[in-house]
Amino acid sequence: MSGKQFFVDRYRQLGWEFNDFQPRQAIRINVINAKGKNLEERLQTLGFQLEKIPFLETGYWVRKAKVSVGATGEYLSGLYSIQEAAAQIPATLFTDLKGRTVLDACAAPGGKTVQLADLMGNTGVIVALDVKKRRLAALSNHLERCHVANVVVYHLDARHTSRLKLKFDMVLLDAPCSGNFATDSHWFERRTLNDVKRNAKLQRELLAEAVTCLSDDGEVVYSTCSLEPEENEANIDWAVKHLNLQTEKVDCYGQEGLTEFFGSRLDVSVKRSRRIWPGGTQGFFVCKLKKREEKQ
Amino acid sequence: MKVITKFACQLGAEFALNADLTVNKDDRYFLLNKALLKVAQKDFYYAGVYLGKVKNGKFFPSFNLLKVLAEGEANKVVVKKKAAWLFICGRDIFRKGILVTHGSRKKGSHTLVLNEFDECLGFGRIVCSLDGTAKDEVIVKNISDIGDFLRREN
Repeated sequence: MSGKQFFVDRYRQLGWEFNDFQPRQAIRINVINAKGKNLEERLQTLGFQLEKIPFLETGYWVRKAKVSVGATGEYLSGLYSIQEAAAQIPATLFTDLKGRTVLDACAAPGGKTVQLADLMGNTGVIVALDVKKRRLAALSNHLERCHVANVVVYHLDARHTSRLKLKFDMVLLDAPCSGNFATDSHWFERRTLNDVKRNAKLQRELLAEAVTCLSDDGEVVYSTCSLEPEENEANIDWAVKHLNLQTEKVDCYGQEGLTEFFGSRLDVSVKRSRRIWPGGTQGFFVCKLKKREEKQ
Repeated sequence: MKVITKFACQLGAEFALNADLTVNKDDRYFLLNKALLKVAQKDFYYAGVYLGKVKNGKFFPSFNLLKVLAEGEANKVVVKKKAAWLFICGRDIFRKGILVTHGSRKKGSHTLVLNEFDECLGFGRIVCSLDGTAKDEVIVKNISDIGDFLRREN
């Protein structure tokens, strides 16, 4: 239940032929900080060749750079962040973030937290949690570098979010997951199906807690960078059946979610999620959910 | 809060800090807005705008605070592109690297260092009067610069 061939065979059964892909480096403009700064022009002057990512408003692939992308004055001043293209998708799926109370449940190192703050125009409140204390330093540095003003960070396991006694309009659950081979060259040697199952269990616990803290008309965006259906579509199916959630249609890059895998049939609404196989980006999965509307 | 206003003063800036919205957490100072203050509980790790920390009795400003101070009246030197890059790398500022100065030009004063786009890169101490003429003279000794974000990661 492990090894490269085992997983490659699984992907083939799911309809994808394995190819050893390296994701392209991508950046995201921090719109608030970069406003009126001619950032693209400045980066070109530094020797950057940028290519607009067609499915993102503020994302660019770095085709070529003469200097380290993470060591320019522009980066250190918070004008842009380094963020993989697919990872830029989840925060953009919320309906209207301005002035809202948002939970970023597994926030460190903070790329999506900063993106949320930018989309919110530094209004409202983001509560950012992470269970690993050493990762909070990276999150804090990221917030300081990008001059974010609307975040409160706690060292807290998101399975205990209720302790904060808050209700959230939006929850971003970018869940801890098995990852994928495109961002980890030793992935196939490290991962087993048992890891996948263990992560799937944790992800369900996180989803359940997210729903407990969600306001009645709130939205949850669930994402992972795993390719394994147990951590993705199967969890969404479980949430639809056990957490009184419904999937929402999203207009974003990726294929429809699977509604059948390895002999299991899932709720048909799971196809509203988005599965991204490694190609233009790393592997990724995202789904937007709301509490089910009660029928009159 | 006094350490922050005192620090601002050293840079020739006035900084009115709302004490009701400023929180001291383990000698780290944060400026919150009202919405954050409502949800922030005492065990938070980070909140709002980080202003800086006190360590061994000395105040270390955050780059957020320096940015805010740079937006108002303060001692500032605006430096050329190459000098800006070297400053971020931890180096000092030479007279020939300076484009414009604002505020105090006296030896011993603290000054913010800005790039040609008016972005604050850090601050330093004027070690030689800005009115001198020798071009190859160190004028501003680097105290803190945004390259620190990279150094912190190592």
